[in-house]
Amino acid sequence: MSFYETLYIVDPNLENNALEKIMDEIGKELAKTKSKIINHRIWGKKRLAYQIDRQKYGSYIILQFEGGGNQDKMNEYDIWMRLNNSILRHITVLLKQKPELYVEDNNAGFKDSEESTNQDAAENKEVQTSDSESEKEKDSNTKEENIESKEDE
Amino acid sequence: MAFQNRNRFCYFKENGITEIDYKDVKLLRRFVNDQGKIIPRRVTGSSAKMHRKLVRAIKRSRSIALMPYVERGLE
Repeated sequence: MSFYETLYIVDPNLENNALEKIMDEIGKELAKTKSKIINHRIWGKKRLAYQIDRQKYGSYIILQFEGGGNQDKMNEYDIWMRLNNSILRHITVLLKQKPELYVEDNNAGFKDSEESTNQDAAENKEVQTSDSESEKEKDSNTKEENIESKEDE
Repeated sequence: MAFQNRNRFCYFKENGITEIDYKDVKLLRRFVNDQGKIIPRRVTGSSAKMHRKLVRAIKRSRSIALMPYVERGLE
């Protein structure tokens, strides 16, 4: 089975109750496609890179699910999402691997589990392979700090 | 020579990144200029494979308003 992820933007001015109601509705709509929901969580309120319907901010919600294998139903779901007025924008993408269950206590904050592991790996490698680079980076960082402190003075 | 100091290596290969997530705006921001344009591969030095993935991620990110299509940049 393939795994998918839908990221959608909801009006930021809605209260939490209304937001949960919308999430519930979407969950029900998705249930019609016989998909199994893995994660359905609020990613956070973010500033939009450009205005959508005169909104400068938006509540991002992530919905990860296992596909039911019915393409027609998925198209209907996509159309329903597009016609839903409370959703400003949405995107559904295919995931390469099964998404891990999101635990709210995680210190990683809003980041995805797979994303954070990627970044961790990246950071580890950076430390191991490119010492000279990191030193350079440090140098530049300290320089920047110096400049900032001077400005402060 | 002016070109000798230029960093030309694949950022993703150096850091062991194989997949690029369109939600990772912090990473994607490094590969667009102040106008929001994607920096060409000949400048960033990233491999063709990763550049394709990068472009896809940036375009997805734009469509969901995480990244700008156009930005004014410096005046």
